[in-house]
Amino acid sequence: MPGSKRWWLPGRDEQRPREARRWTRIAVAVQGPPTVFLILRRMRAPLIVLITIFAVSVLGLTLIPGRDDAGQPARMGFFDAFYFMSYTATTIGYGEIPHAFTGAQRLWVTATIYLTVIGWAYAVGSLLTLLQDRAFRQALALQRFTRTVARLREPFLLITGYGQTGRLLGRELDALGRRLVVIDTDAERVDALDIDAYRCDVPGLAGDARNPRTLEHAGLGHPYCEGVLALTDDDEVNLAVTMTAALVRPELPVIARTVSPAVEHRMAAFGSPTVINPFDRYGDHLRLALRAPASYQLMAWLESGPGAELPERSQPPRAGRWVLCGYGRFGRELTEDLQAEGLTVTAVDIRAEAGTEPWVIVGDGSEPHVMAAADLAHAVGFVAGTDNDTTNLSLVAAARHINPELFVVSRQNRPETAPLFAAMRIDSLLVPAEVVAHEIYAQLSTPLLWRFLREMPALGDEWARAMVERLQQHCGRRLPGLWRTTLDASETPALHRWLCDGQATLGDLLRHPDDRERRLGIVPLLILRDGRATLGPADDDVLRAGDQILLAGQPWEQRALLNTLTIDAVSRYVRYGHRVPSSWIWRRLTRSNR
Amino acid sequence: MSLEKVVFGFFVLLAATLNFGFFIGDLADPRLHNEYELFAAVVVNLIATVLKFGDRTQIGAVHLATSLVADLQLIAATLAWTWATQVSADGLNGESMAAVVSLSGGALLANIVSVVLLVIETVSFQRR
Repeated sequence: MPGSKRWWLPGRDEQRPREARRWTRIAVAVQGPPTVFLILRRMRAPLIVLITIFAVSVLGLTLIPGRDDAGQPARMGFFDAFYFMSYTATTIGYGEIPHAFTGAQRLWVTATIYLTVIGWAYAVGSLLTLLQDRAFRQALALQRFTRTVARLREPFLLITGYGQTGRLLGRELDALGRRLVVIDTDAERVDALDIDAYRCDVPGLAGDARNPRTLEHAGLGHPYCEGVLALTDDDEVNLAVTMTAALVRPELPVIARTVSPAVEHRMAAFGSPTVINPFDRYGDHLRLALRAPASYQLMAWLESGPGAELPERSQPPRAGRWVLCGYGRFGRELTEDLQAEGLTVTAVDIRAEAGTEPWVIVGDGSEPHVMAAADLAHAVGFVAGTDNDTTNLSLVAAARHINPELFVVSRQNRPETAPLFAAMRIDSLLVPAEVVAHEIYAQLSTPLLWRFLREMPALGDEWARAMVERLQQHCGRRLPGLWRTTLDASETPALHRWLCDGQATLGDLLRHPDDRERRLGIVPLLILRDGRATLGPADDDVLRAGDQILLAGQPWEQRALLNTLTIDAVSRYVRYGHRVPSSWIWRRLTRSNR
Repeated sequence: MSLEKVVFGFFVLLAATLNFGFFIGDLADPRLHNEYELFAAVVVNLIATVLKFGDRTQIGAVHLATSLVADLQLIAATLAWTWATQVSADGLNGESMAAVVSLSGGALLANIVSVVLLVIETVSFQRR
């Protein structure tokens, strides 16, 4: 579908145009409890008290005999009594009407003044208490959230879990202009949504994502919901979210995070969610880094999202023995990957069973004799992979003490410890939250980027090195935006005929609109034509109508290119070098002169 | 026996009876219609309305609606009466009295519906 803001996931090619653009309801009543009912219910007693006090006071005034100015007996009418009580009870007070009061009337009025003040105070107090009430505010918040979500008229992603991963990913997706809806169990994290600087308003709800009703409130059945991301750090919750999404909206793409292969398997039983296991992915990355450091560098850079700085190119040792502390889920994944690359591994773990695998040493890695048994002096790489950051840091320090030449890999579990790991200058750091966020970003930002990242390793390290060089030359050390352009009538109206001629080259397209001898600082990363992708196309590549191009460049360069693509006069100058008047009158004039 | 039901039934019935008491008699004769009775009807009706606040059952909602209709009619009647006694130069003549009483008659209809609803609710209520 050209021109539309649709996206794509592997294996779910262009399933988005849905026949049924309707809400899918889980339960009949998805609206939160109407707050007006809560107010009415709580205000029953105070209002009745107030009505009664008013009634008694007014009645009393009409019954008590008074005297007019001439001294004749005169009773107050209901209207006068109500008028008098109204300004007395609201503590405004004017005076005695229609005639000065008699003693009996004053006695009664004195009593009613106190009564009505009590009534008002009670009613106003109840109302204020209600506004402070936690349940009431929750109901109010839920209602507001549900209404905001229901009012969304753009495609949005439903994110469950707004921890480290959710926050990272939220920022990156927001920078791309995607709308998000967030659920998290922690109310503080949801409150943080308001503080975090987002371009679009991100509705957030504190609630349990395992409850389908919560997901329903967050717009799982909304026709504009374009995907569900299960990013909580609890595999069970992620599984529940995956299940609910697959059962309620089977056509919806789901991306879930897990660290357990068993849960991954259970998730796969429901539809075809994209499951991301950070340990598994990190192992793959490390293998790529071992084989092709530049390819890995390019991949890490492109995955990091807009504004990311060029990561260092690290060169893990390709031959030799690695020592790995922490032989849990992460350790096992990594050991397999390293062994697959032909490296030998010695694993150290206190909880491992002796004798099952010959390379496993049972013991506490922080004890000197265990470290000695691992023989770090003759190792080339060291992995601190326990789930405790303090342990990891001390393990790295101890290992470096024994052998300063080691290539050090460490796992960082908590975001707070980031400065410590930065100070340790770890050669390769695994932050599970970041791995997941980058992976999902690469899949969601544009389908072409995912395609590029999948096909790029096959082109080899030299190619990747040149590509990094080229990107750095044109865009600097910070990766600017990546965007996709489709060369068709709707997105590039100014180029349509030129493209059909078969003369259009990429180099001509990327000339500067102000000075065509200069080239725009835009790097074409990929051209997709008829399902075939050309990576890193050259400037003399001929473009055709219908091509999709993935480009990288600064925002101002992107705007310049947009002018070329859409404004006829600009595109003519860029293509042929002659300036064409753009206004209607001027065009007429120049034509008549010619 | 639920106290809530007793209180509510009491007020609904009282509203209806008071209203009836005010309404009955020659439409245009001010002597046959007691202003205190109208006042009491307004107050009791208001209380009956407030008692149905926050009731989210179907029949509760209809109760609330009929009560609100009765309130509206009675307040209109009160306003007509106030206009006649305080503002109009003619005072409370037969014409204006007829307006007041007929408005209260409308409210009476709503009160009767309320009572019918109350009866239906009571009959259909079964303790399991």
